[in-house]
Amino acid sequence: MSAGYYGRPIVKPPAWTDLIPTYFFAGGLAGTAATLAFAERTARNDRLARTMIFGAATGCAVSAFCLIADLKKPERFINMLRVVKPTSPMSVGVYIFSAFSGSVFIAAGCEVTGIARPAGRFFGAIAGLIGPVMSVYTAVLVGDTVMPAWHLPRKTLPGLFAATSAASAGAWGLLFASARDNGSARRLALVGGTAMVAILQALHHEIGPTQAEAYSKGEAGALARTARVLNVGGIVCAALGKNSNVISKVAGALLLAGGLTERFAVYRAGCASAKDPKYVLDSQA
Amino acid sequence: MSDFIDLTSAAAESATYGADERDRMGFFTDTTLCIGCKACEVACKEWNQLPSDGYEFTGESYDNTKELSGNTWRHVAFVEQMEPERDTGRWLMESDVCKHCTHAGCLDVCPTGAIIRTEFGTVVIQDDICNGCGYCVVACPFGVIGEKQEDHTMGKCTLCYDRLKVGEQPACAKACPTESIQYGVVDELRERAENRLQKIQEKFASAQLYLNDPNDGVGGGGSLFLLLDKPQVYGLPPNPIVPTKDLPQRWRTAGIAAAALFGAVVLCAVSRR
Ligand code: SF4
Ligand code: SF4
Repeated sequence: MSAGYYGRPIVKPPAWTDLIPTYFFAGGLAGTAATLAFAERTARNDRLARTMIFGAATGCAVSAFCLIADLKKPERFINMLRVVKPTSPMSVGVYIFSAFSGSVFIAAGCEVTGIARPAGRFFGAIAGLIGPVMSVYTAVLVGDTVMPAWHLPRKTLPGLFAATSAASAGAWGLLFASARDNGSARRLALVGGTAMVAILQALHHEIGPTQAEAYSKGEAGALARTARVLNVGGIVCAALGKNSNVISKVAGALLLAGGLTERFAVYRAGCASAKDPKYVLDSQA
Repeated sequence: MSDFIDLTSAAAESATYGADERDRMGFFTDTTLCIGCKACEVACKEWNQLPSDGYEFTGESYDNTKELSGNTWRHVAFVEQMEPERDTGRWLMESDVCKHCTHAGCLDVCPTGAIIRTEFGTVVIQDDICNGCGYCVVACPFGVIGEKQEDHTMGKCTLCYDRLKVGEQPACAKACPTESIQYGVVDELRERAENRLQKIQEKFASAQLYLNDPNDGVGGGGSLFLLLDKPQVYGLPPNPIVPTKDLPQRWRTAGIAAAALFGAVVLCAVSRR
């Protein structure tokens, strides 16, 4: 006989749609993009700062759509704001996201219209400071579940989310800024992309070979392998394309695709670790 | 349990009702008495007006209900432990239900406050508040919660909150013909379960109590069980732990990762040539 009770899941896999891993990607990108925008503004590289704040705004718009559209009752999104619950990373996250995206939209609005620039700078700075939290809190959100593949990598999952966000934000800069201005984005893409590949290894190590199968087998495994090819390709192009607009853009596109694919790989790993009861049984043996 | 999680225990939450607080009520499901009649499943569906799950033949013994879900709040599990020639062996039956945990993951994570601890110490989803975010689904160590497809909110056992309020017992306990499902004050049920175990263990050495220990990973259940085999045999987690238990440490680690990310961005920005 199969494990447990007729091989049925012990815990329920998420009732979420693919909008949720899409949100992890877009929200992560937005967070780190806002921080890079802030840093570039401070360093007076206004052109890259502008590209990055638009990246953050795009990420926020996609995020807001995903978050609301994924609710089974989207018209009740507002109920999220009737309580503040420190025990719920989603409640905490709604306030992080609201403060962050509000600041980003004001900063981007000032940038486009050219009005109230000092206010735009101010809110750009706020967004830049909240940005890293925006990029990483989703690791706490999924960690605070009973999906073994998300719950068990206590040390490495936040790092993986941070690295993926850095790679995606850097990739945005490579894709949309010219080779003349994109130096910081290139460095961020290289650091983030390399860290992503390395931390993923550490994650497998942290949870051990049995639990790591959730990440390496099935659809999650196929996505992870695809992501790896895209990311390594993106890292190589980013390293080589210093003076080339075309190669920079290829690097950006590869790393964006790699980051998105990696988000889906992590998401599917969590689902897989719920659907097969062996993961829960192993973690509770 | 950490101090953090103690703030969210059944006792701490029920105490917020002040003078309206009542004894903590719960179930003791004695599976040695269950005959698998599914009267509890039917009574639950009828009282709570839950739609059917359709007619699917699973081939898994007499269990065509499969699992607890948004519309199924009692589920009778059937385990056939037969020798190949089927003349010896036994048939285990267990009516499963929400555990009304002392430390309830679903309640901790619900971002709208739709899930509440009632004055009876039970855990209830208010379906006029739930926005269907689905976080509770993945925070329950027992896979209890699912979507109610017709109204797009999440559903689970309420321990018949409406019946309790008027002094009635839950529909399933009332319908159970063998008193396999017993309703009462949790402290008394715990004692009753201990006594029953003593007796049963003389005959069945493998008998064990489940969720009767206030020091387990969910602080014990408001629903406790007497099982004849290991929990996993019935599809129950052997060592459930409320996911919020190490939440403060998770935030700390995330804080370090966020700080490192900020540092990395700044370094990338200042290291221009
Ligand atoms: S068993 Fe699951 S749904 Fe029931 S109270 Fe515990 S965590 Fe909530
Ligand atoms: S789905 Fe409803 S009950 Fe569950 S956590 Fe979200 S708002 Fe709360």
